[in-house]
Amino acid sequence: MDQLIIFALLLSLGYFFGRSAEKRHYASIQQREQDFINMPTTAGKYVLGENTTVTKSHLVTGSVVISVDYFKRILASLRSFFGGNVRSYETLVDRARREAVLRMKESCPDADQIINIRLETSSIYKGQGKQIGSVEVLAYGTAVYLAP
Amino acid sequence: MKFKPGLPEGNVNVSHNSPGKEFLLLFAGITAILLSAYLILGLFIDVAVNYISPELEAKVFKTMSYGSGEHQIENSDKQQAMQILVNKLQQCTDLPYPLQVNLVESETPNAFAFPGGKIVVFSSLLDSVQSENGLAFVLAHELSHFQNRDHLRGMGRSIVFTALMSAVTGAGSDLTRLVAPVANFSQAQYSQHRETMADEQALAIINCYYGHVGGATEFFETIAPLAGNKNHTSAVSHYFSSHPEAERRIANLKKLADEHNMPRNKTAPLNATLSANTAE
Repeated sequence: MDQLIIFALLLSLGYFFGRSAEKRHYASIQQREQDFINMPTTAGKYVLGENTTVTKSHLVTGSVVISVDYFKRILASLRSFFGGNVRSYETLVDRARREAVLRMKESCPDADQIINIRLETSSIYKGQGKQIGSVEVLAYGTAVYLAP
Repeated sequence: MKFKPGLPEGNVNVSHNSPGKEFLLLFAGITAILLSAYLILGLFIDVAVNYISPELEAKVFKTMSYGSGEHQIENSDKQQAMQILVNKLQQCTDLPYPLQVNLVESETPNAFAFPGGKIVVFSSLLDSVQSENGLAFVLAHELSHFQNRDHLRGMGRSIVFTALMSAVTGAGSDLTRLVAPVANFSQAQYSQHRETMADEQALAIINCYYGHVGGATEFFETIAPLAGNKNHTSAVSHYFSSHPEAERRIANLKKLADEHNMPRNKTAPLNATLSANTAE
């Protein structure tokens, strides 16, 4: 009985806190994406545009670790029983991806472009079944500064 | 190619459904599957126990004994006195095989039917009853469990429950914690039903042996105040309990005794050997 109460408490804690954290995070992501909309970021090897005289370039990285909340984890374990899309984890990786790219852009606000972008995903606590899992996303690329 | 700044409209990488709804749907699905598997296997057990002969039962459980040897009080006078009482009570039942009373040192007043024809009695049970009739009722209750083969049913259901839980969710996972209360609830309801049945038969046994049912509720009257305090902490806990509440058992027994016109005469005191326990 006590176990059940603790469980329900953890579940609702995860649900409400996780939900509000996600909402705030998405609001911040959308705002910052808007702010950086004029910095081209591409996966291609070459600089975009007519003017391709590069004066400076360097490696930029942005990484983020986001933890899944208790509710999402239980929902995912229920889902793994029946199969299908693990929807509860979708927002987790989506947020992590976008946040990592944003952090990378924020690390070089004066750059003209970031080219050759790559994304790497890894899961932390992998294989430790009883742990709450987290996802790490690392975004890296080359920041280029063009001649005026 | 000209660069045109812009952001995608909407987000195609996430599902826009309600997680709460998904949770409820999946939870209901798993609970329904597990519960029906449990109930169906429970019915199989009810059928299977009819095919387990007392000889087979004795063979299977021969090596099993309750608890560790050091707590067991063997060949004591008290144990023998209870054994004599059980043998006499058994004449009022149609149990064909011998039963063995095991006395175990414990502070919890309790007794139960253990597979292999063993009635395990905890020593402080003797302090919780004032008369031989009170003790006889508890022993008769355990006899009824043997008669109904509840000890095998209970054990079978526990095995099914544990097997289902570990097979489906992995033992001790969070999912087990989620689904377990539902199965516990159904197990508790079943168990309470069997307990009530055993109470009713025990009443008939002591009525047959003594010619009256005085002292039948003695044990419950002793434990009711103790259990009562515990129950007040949670209004729902008795739904999850394996035994009905003591007050309800007392009321039920009194009602039954009245319905069948079983008299409640003066009780016989415990004989000297058995009551010696209180002095220790």
